[in-house]
Amino acid sequence: MWSETENKVLIAVLDELIPANEKAGVPAAGALGVAGFLPTATSYAPDPVGSVTAVLKSIGDKTSDFTSLEKVDKITLLKNVEIENAVDFGTLVQLTYMGYYSRPEVRPMFGVGAHAVHPKGYDVPRESDELMEILTAPVRARGKLFRDV
Amino acid sequence: MKNEPVDVLIVGAGASGAAIAWSLLETRMRILCLEQGPHLADKDYPSRDDDYELSRYGKFSCDPNVRGLKQDYPINADDSCIMPVNFNAVGGSTINFLGHWPRMKPSDFKTKSLDGVAEDWPVDYATLAPFYAMNDQTTGVSGLGGNPAYPDYTPPLPPIPMGKLGQTLAKGFNKMGWHWWPSDVSILSQDYDGRQKCVNAGTCDLGCAAGAKGGTNFTYWPMLENAGVELRTECRVREITVDPVTGFATGVIYHGPGGQVHEQKAELVIVACNGVGTPRLLLNSKSKMFPDGLANRSGMVGKNLMFHPLTGVSGVFDKPMKGHEGPMACSILSQEFYENDPSRNFVRGYGLHSGRSTTPMTYALGGYGIDSPIPWGAEHREVMDNVYPYLAGLTVVAEDLPEEHNCVTLDPDLSDSDGIPAPKITYRLGDNSRKMLKHGEERAKEILMAAGAKKVLTKGDDDVWWRAGWHQMGTCRMGNNPNTSVVNSWGRSHDVKNLFIVDGSIFVTAGAVNPTSTIQALSLYIGDSIKNNIETLFD
Repeated sequence: MWSETENKVLIAVLDELIPANEKAGVPAAGALGVAGFLPTATSYAPDPVGSVTAVLKSIGDKTSDFTSLEKVDKITLLKNVEIENAVDFGTLVQLTYMGYYSRPEVRPMFGVGAHAVHPKGYDVPRESDELMEILTAPVRARGKLFRDV
Repeated sequence: MKNEPVDVLIVGAGASGAAIAWSLLETRMRILCLEQGPHLADKDYPSRDDDYELSRYGKFSCDPNVRGLKQDYPINADDSCIMPVNFNAVGGSTINFLGHWPRMKPSDFKTKSLDGVAEDWPVDYATLAPFYAMNDQTTGVSGLGGNPAYPDYTPPLPPIPMGKLGQTLAKGFNKMGWHWWPSDVSILSQDYDGRQKCVNAGTCDLGCAAGAKGGTNFTYWPMLENAGVELRTECRVREITVDPVTGFATGVIYHGPGGQVHEQKAELVIVACNGVGTPRLLLNSKSKMFPDGLANRSGMVGKNLMFHPLTGVSGVFDKPMKGHEGPMACSILSQEFYENDPSRNFVRGYGLHSGRSTTPMTYALGGYGIDSPIPWGAEHREVMDNVYPYLAGLTVVAEDLPEEHNCVTLDPDLSDSDGIPAPKITYRLGDNSRKMLKHGEERAKEILMAAGAKKVLTKGDDDVWWRAGWHQMGTCRMGNNPNTSVVNSWGRSHDVKNLFIVDGSIFVTAGAVNPTSTIQALSLYIGDSIKNNIETLFD
């Protein structure tokens, strides 16, 4: 689908779209392997391969070695591509978010369970009657809040 | 292909179709329901999959144009700032609705006489109250009695957990001295009637695989099918047929699962396709007697489309709010600004709903119904690490006023997979709604700051949420005057005496609350009226 060089560029691009938080152990999108998701995303974009290829071509038109650029230069270049080819770049961004956050191991890094939410769900205790009484007391004290008709 | 005639034919197996079938069960009439979607199997619910979030953007999107499934009809919303959303299956949009269950308030039925706007309903709150209660019992509604914003009633089950997010916001409202109350929800806080209580999965929009949410596929339909109501799935009604002499409805023409055309005769036809689907069907049912669409001598079929325009404000707090844990739309509801206040620069009012947070992918892609992705790069990292986990939000739910230019018509070019013309939506946000949303946004900021937010985030423009047309109302409204309304005070067409409409399209005004509990209460009331008037039903 894409050449080895294009794949390297793609991974580097993905690493800029969702960069790592190394301190917190959160991986960047390229390092996580989101590139593998993109060609499979036909349910979420009409032509994911076409959009990614178009973005890679735009990058290739501007530099022959994206991966060697300084970070600041990579971002500047990508912002230019985003302006010039907003539709394909927008598709790449959206699919990158999908590929990244659909990985169950990523969710706990943001406080959300890795598990499918059914059947386990989350344990959220119901407020006690006493707490509800305390919380709602000021509301009840202010009295009726509807109009008689 | 012809089928054996039935007594009652219901089009649509969603909220209202199920409720009226239940109401009419005791008549022992032969009841048939045609539903364009399938029965969902357990495996169809994405919340059992590891990558469940992805389905929001594919087969379980709330947007029929995104889903594009065979049972979905496309909707042209190019001339609307709000996209109607729905689901087509047994249960209808109660499959993917969020289960928020507030009732309309007494003043909602009297906006003309109380506040000089829109029209009064031909029914009132007191008439519907017993049907609200009956429906709450059948559905399994959780909530806290004693809400001072309503005449006294108590939901059958205790409230669902408010959680850290709800408690935090409640304290903010208390600091401001403003009303709030735990939300009524059609979500089980306890095991009930053979159904399992909510496990706080937080993915109500992806269908409730546990059956804790009150989708009619879990509440009414199992009872109805056991009792002998016939439910034909994957059957899409093309038009309602009419006797050219009597003007009575004779039944329907529908497409079966393979697209083949069927004729179904019935003594009584009940339309339950909601605020977009119902006018679409009537407008597509043209005849010499009804050249502008069935039951449309008033010209009101498709007019006065109302949504609930939404906007939202989020607060960023010091500690994680765990907003993804628990039913996604409902924690608490404030009606402090619901009733009309002549000192404000708009009429009528709005509710402030504490939606919970969503899951990471949905937030990154722009939030539920907002659809504008957060930035990429370093800013992405900052938002996801230091904002997302700490969010608590308030949604402003505004009362839309009926305006004739907001309407459903038939698209001249677009059609569904059976070749039936698709609906076209023409809708623009009224000036009153815009002012109301602005007012609500300012109040929401004050509450969030009072609740301890470090900063508040707004959408930053005047646009309302795009994929937020859940509540589709007003397009076949009730009324006593046949020149200005489509159905009478108990849902019977003014023009066709054996045609009833029972869904959100018959709403006269929209209120500022989620409409499903009122839709079902109305449907039960209409069923009761049919039974009470059975001897003279077609007079």
